[in-house]
Amino acid sequence: MKVSGIRFVTALGALGLPLAAVAGTVDRTVAASPQGDVEISNVSGRVDVRGWDRNEVRVTGQYDNGVERVDVETSGSRVVVKVVLPRNSRDSDATLEVQVPKGSSVEVGAVSADVTSRGVLGTQRLKTVSGEISADISGDDSEVRSVSGDLTVRGSGKPLKLRASSVSGSLDLSNAAGSLDVVTVSGDAHVHMSEAKEIRARTTSGDLELVAKLTRDGRVDAEGVSGDLSLQLSSPGSLSLEIESFSGDITGCLADSVERVSKYGPGVRLNVRNVEAGPRVRAKTLSGDIEVCDK
Amino acid sequence: MSKRVTRIDELARDIPPARDLWPGISAAIEAERAAAAPAQSRRRSFWMPAAGLAASVLLVAVGVFIGKATTQQRQQVTAGTDRPGVETGAEIAVVPAHYQRDAEYRKQRKELLQEVNARLQTMPPADRAKVSASLETLRKSIDEIEAALGHDPANALLQELLVSSCQEEMRALTAVRDSGREEI
Repeated sequence: MKVSGIRFVTALGALGLPLAAVAGTVDRTVAASPQGDVEISNVSGRVDVRGWDRNEVRVTGQYDNGVERVDVETSGSRVVVKVVLPRNSRDSDATLEVQVPKGSSVEVGAVSADVTSRGVLGTQRLKTVSGEISADISGDDSEVRSVSGDLTVRGSGKPLKLRASSVSGSLDLSNAAGSLDVVTVSGDAHVHMSEAKEIRARTTSGDLELVAKLTRDGRVDAEGVSGDLSLQLSSPGSLSLEIESFSGDITGCLADSVERVSKYGPGVRLNVRNVEAGPRVRAKTLSGDIEVCDK
Repeated sequence: MSKRVTRIDELARDIPPARDLWPGISAAIEAERAAAAPAQSRRRSFWMPAAGLAASVLLVAVGVFIGKATTQQRQQVTAGTDRPGVETGAEIAVVPAHYQRDAEYRKQRKELLQEVNARLQTMPPADRAKVSASLETLRKSIDEIEAALGHDPANALLQELLVSSCQEEMRALTAVRDSGREEI
């Protein structure tokens, strides 16, 4: 692709790649199925995925000297976009924008590259090591993972199954509904859900804040070790609660019902059992505090 | 007088957990399988390690419950450390044959730690420090739970936290080990 002087420099500057480092550009468009699979891999730099109304995948962007080329291959209903590095090379940057049919299922694998995704309606599986992920998620059975990168996920408000996990990164999830499985080790997690049917949340030392409106048969299972849990839950029926901490406190608007587990040993618990079938909440910690409220 | 639990098979025997833990463990494994299933039809997906992860999770469950269900005298000398981010030490243990699955779990964890340490060395220093600290947090949490179990070995909450923390450690170690090596 040939781009003339000033326009080229301006475009590269806007996309954030150091001008002196640019070694090549890519602008490829291939036909794609409206609900096909798109797989993207990039080590470092950035991947921006955008859903659009065309039955095409378009890949634009640029890369530095550490990148050999960017492949765009089609096989059946699958399109694979791959940043190819010379053997044993990891010192490379590529910045890609990938426009995909909005009904596509998308997989992105990155190492330190940041990933964003907007406007994709199919299943998404986004994974980075240290890069950050910011994604709008609408497709069922989606998954977002990182090792040390932070995750920012926005749901569409319609029920779906979503898994989000990070070792050291934090998680911010908003406007989600349906089923959620969230795991962090040391990162904090902030989760806001409507129409929550099933939530499983686990943190080791990070704090978990969960604000959710449960369905009539909703389930919450939250666990922390030293991290604090804050559960602000509402539901159409009375909640059944099974809350327990080994050495932390239980606070919140139901704190009056908290009792000691043993007369002589540590531990507090809050058990509220309702006869009718309804939303059920379990929360456990070792030393983290649990704040729970059902209003 | 209470003592610190240093091995999961030192937990009190014949103490049923507060609830049946298997459905949760099974669900976790199934979820990993479900994540791995579509990948099988693809030529080389980065979700493939999920199958190995499921096996690790299962080993934790089996290891914990086999250990709990059996009482056995054993001699153990642990040298060095098994913390991520540092060199793993040698463990000398007399392990009876019927402990094999528990031993298998420990063996797999040790191998995993070696791979994780190798992976950490390839990470940029800032990321390495951040991830090492998180893994150390996990290990400390397990130590804390084990210490608490030493005081209260029949505590169902602590047993449950120990199982899930061991599972979480395996998940996290696997995630770090596999990070970045399948994508390109």
